[in-house]
Amino acid sequence: MKTLISRTLILLSLLTIASFYSFSQESTKISPYVQLQYFKDNNDNSSLKTTLTYSKNRMEIPLEGMKIIFYSGNEKKNKIAEAVTDEKGVAVCDLKEKSDFSSDATGQWSFSTDFEGNDTIESGSAELSIRDVILKMDLAEVDSVKTITLNAEKIENGIEVPASGEMLTVYVPRMFSLLPIGDVTLDDSGNGSLEFPADLPGDNEGNINIIARFEEHPEFGNVEKTATLKWGVPSSYTVPKGHRALWTKVAPLWMIYTLSILLTGVWGHYLFALISLIRIRRNAKKDESSDLRNI
Amino acid sequence: MMKETEDNESKRSSRRNFIKKVGAGVGAVSIAGIAGTSVIGGGRLKSGEKVKLLSPDGKLVEVDKDDIQPAKEAVAELKAEAKKGLPNRKFVMVIDLAKCKNARRCVEACQEGHLLPKDHEWMKIFLLQDDHDTSRYWFPRPCFHCDKPMCVSVCPVGATYKRDDGIVLIDNQRCIGCKFCMTGCPYSVRVFNWQDPEVKVPEGYEYDPELAVPQVEGTVGKCIFCADKLRKDELPRCVSACPMGVLYFGDILEDTVTNGEETVRFSKMMTDRAGYRYREDLGTLPSVFYLPPVQRLFPVERGLEDLPDSIRLRYKNAGPR
Amino acid sequence: MTEKKLLEDLTPEIESTGLKWYLTFAAFFIVFCVGIYGLIQQIDKGHIVTGMRDNVVWGLYIVNFIFFMGLSYAGALISGVLHLFHTGWRKSVIRLAELITVISLVIGPFFIFFCIGRLDRLPFLVMYPRIQSPITWDVIAISTDLIGCFMFLYLSFIEDFAILRDYRELNVPPWKHKLYKALSLGYTGNEKQKKILKDAKNVMAAMIIAIAIIVYSVLAWIFGVTLQPGWHSTIFGPYFVIAAVFSGTGLLIILMWIFRKIYHLEEYITKRHFVNVGVLLTIIAAFYGYFTFSDYLTKWYGSIKMDSLLIDKLFSDYYSLFIFANYVGILIPCIIIAFPKFRTIPNITIAAVIAVTALWVNRYIIVIPTLETPFLPIQDIRPAWIKYSPTWVEWSLTFAGISVYGMLFMLVSKIAPIISISEMKEKDQIEILK
Repeated sequence: MKTLISRTLILLSLLTIASFYSFSQESTKISPYVQLQYFKDNNDNSSLKTTLTYSKNRMEIPLEGMKIIFYSGNEKKNKIAEAVTDEKGVAVCDLKEKSDFSSDATGQWSFSTDFEGNDTIESGSAELSIRDVILKMDLAEVDSVKTITLNAEKIENGIEVPASGEMLTVYVPRMFSLLPIGDVTLDDSGNGSLEFPADLPGDNEGNINIIARFEEHPEFGNVEKTATLKWGVPSSYTVPKGHRALWTKVAPLWMIYTLSILLTGVWGHYLFALISLIRIRRNAKKDESSDLRNI
Repeated sequence: MMKETEDNESKRSSRRNFIKKVGAGVGAVSIAGIAGTSVIGGGRLKSGEKVKLLSPDGKLVEVDKDDIQPAKEAVAELKAEAKKGLPNRKFVMVIDLAKCKNARRCVEACQEGHLLPKDHEWMKIFLLQDDHDTSRYWFPRPCFHCDKPMCVSVCPVGATYKRDDGIVLIDNQRCIGCKFCMTGCPYSVRVFNWQDPEVKVPEGYEYDPELAVPQVEGTVGKCIFCADKLRKDELPRCVSACPMGVLYFGDILEDTVTNGEETVRFSKMMTDRAGYRYREDLGTLPSVFYLPPVQRLFPVERGLEDLPDSIRLRYKNAGPR
Repeated sequence: MTEKKLLEDLTPEIESTGLKWYLTFAAFFIVFCVGIYGLIQQIDKGHIVTGMRDNVVWGLYIVNFIFFMGLSYAGALISGVLHLFHTGWRKSVIRLAELITVISLVIGPFFIFFCIGRLDRLPFLVMYPRIQSPITWDVIAISTDLIGCFMFLYLSFIEDFAILRDYRELNVPPWKHKLYKALSLGYTGNEKQKKILKDAKNVMAAMIIAIAIIVYSVLAWIFGVTLQPGWHSTIFGPYFVIAAVFSGTGLLIILMWIFRKIYHLEEYITKRHFVNVGVLLTIIAAFYGYFTFSDYLTKWYGSIKMDSLLIDKLFSDYYSLFIFANYVGILIPCIIIAFPKFRTIPNITIAAVIAVTALWVNRYIIVIPTLETPFLPIQDIRPAWIKYSPTWVEWSLTFAGISVYGMLFMLVSKIAPIISISEMKEKDQIEILK
């Protein structure tokens, strides 16, 4: 009896220690945040992007150099590619082959991403369901008003269906960020239009980039169409070369003239005094016999 | 084409980085090389080792290791680029006084990014009150990068200069420390290195006026709109760090400013929110605009909470002058 | 006043050096060494050892710089203006005035050097000058002034060196004989040489006056062109010129008194000289008072906030200094010299001492209170950053500057007489000195 109790106690304590050990192991492991996104760009090239970060002090810190595996399919997963996260914690996989997309009955694609984990970081995964959408953007001046016309059709059961009621945002990319121009909600036939501002500055020639996109759409992911045209106001800003001011490299002319005149005037007089000294010396040399006292 | 300019800029920035890396590396190597090779009869034995370098006109050349002094050239190249600035840009900042609550992350991010000693504040936050009957407000003040800069006008050696993209920079290797610019600036923007800042500089770093690390004893320092970040199309450190989105930054030629999350048209912001410049009557034409503290998000007193005494006591006598 | 008598009275100083001279020189030298030690501390540890901080970036060094440059006005006024007006009584004191000018111009720029953060980059001022900057104007003007005054001094020394060279009984070591011979350029005093010398002196005298005004105005514009309250005043150019003349004249009286006492020159520097220079002092004090009053009246009357803040600060923190500089410093000299009863040599000298000190304080309250009231308020807790208080380094260098002044004068008095022999021996002097 006594040995049984003592053995149970030993076993219990061992288990407790083991559980503490594993618990503490797990509590020191970082729990990552895995985000999977789908992108379709202007040339209809699709890609998947996984972002691996973890939370510290209410800030997201990227995890670099981690191996990420991309899969397609829902129950039966096909491995598409492997990638390693960069310094921003991002791993990208290009979807080129038709085999990368495995669709279900309604034509939706399934993707997932997996991070194995290691000694310090837990494993993580994310899933995504995407439906293909065909986006068209048309830029034209209608009644001398610059108008962007958008049309989107989603693929449902192999047929193109107007994506009515969906919302797109139109941007103009700027130096640090994208400037939102406006939102477009598509009508029943999948069309929508937006007036482009007439006074938006472009580059020197008035070129401007326009991006229309579905942003993190629950069904379509991120799909965009871009265009470049001369719809911007040409911005010209060059400081004229040789501009003269107090703060420029070259001084205002009047300052240079004044200084030169003053300096020449003054130093000219100094030169006169110096020459006088030389003349005294020359004269004294000629006159060596005279003594000052005789005067 | 905008895309082309972006390519050019990325080319230039990668060239800068190349020069920095190669210059620093070869600099170290060349010093070692010269020290290592023996001097016989007045001449110098060439070590015979060749090094590949990128010449200023973009050609790859092979040079004997001992024939170059790349460290100086790297700095000279960086300084020349710093003087030219970014083409077709004119930078402005907009500060939304309605949202500022003296979180001071901007101050800290600036100090970390430029390796400043703790008592140097290039971004300074004042607690102002114009008059007894008006309200107090927090006032973050970076360098205004004026279009008619008094500081540049009075510098006797040209150590501080205004470049075409609007940014006023300081060449810490030219500055003689006469402090005339400090008396010239009406906004008390500039700080002086009264002693050796004693900061640890990263390996292989070459002095670059666009980053201004390290600060040099006996010279002047000030906010430089993080010109090094702008070359990489990134926002200045204070703008990225502000948790309230108080600081907006952008290119006035694009008529766009952003605080990292919100991007708006600059002209619209000025019209809708009645933007103004501090002390417009002084005529220095600052590049920093303020949005008046209308419908502020927090009461002013929130900015005095959670502060160490050394900072909170600063504002003890803040009030109308 | 025969030449013989002049030589007998004025040359003993050149011939022999007493113990008193050595002791005084040693005392000056010790003060100078303390200053040098302070300078070494500053170069080693950085400007943090001074009282200057981010708001008051210009302190005692700049005050001393303006002050010493101002003293150089004695030469410009007394020798320059009075020379051109052919005033008779000036001849006893012109040498002293010219020496004050040159020595002040030599010492003044050193105080700027102390204020510069990177002394190793001083040559940049001439290598990379920007002519839009008032400091560049100052560099050009001061170097021009220094050379001009030096030349003027040398021109006035030539005749004396010639006299000393020819004075057989002069009991000096051989190197001094050689020195006089070389420096006199073989001057023999014939008609042609006299004319050349006279013309050169006239030209330089005119130049000195013009240059002195330009130099001091440029110095004033270093402050005047900035936007700071209290400095951005249109009157600063003429104001600084008048103040400089005031301080130079005051110093002249003080040095007249000192040299008269130690070299027993009672016959040459008489009460008449003191009274004349004293009257000059009074006239200039009146002008100085007028300019000061005008400047502060316009600041006080208007409602501009920054001006009011400055005036408030002057009348609270700097009250005693303000009263001393702008009331006592003007009224006491005026009263002493205006009433014939008070016009004794000691009184006039005291008036001069008060005037010179008041002017130093005036420079202080021009430079520092403005920097303590910037447009954006100083929000700091460190006392040194809120209110300027000079440290021992700055004071020691101030006194070192004064001691160098003394040392240079003492050295010059060993080479050449303090009173110009050549001028004094002209016939008109006998009448004046009676």
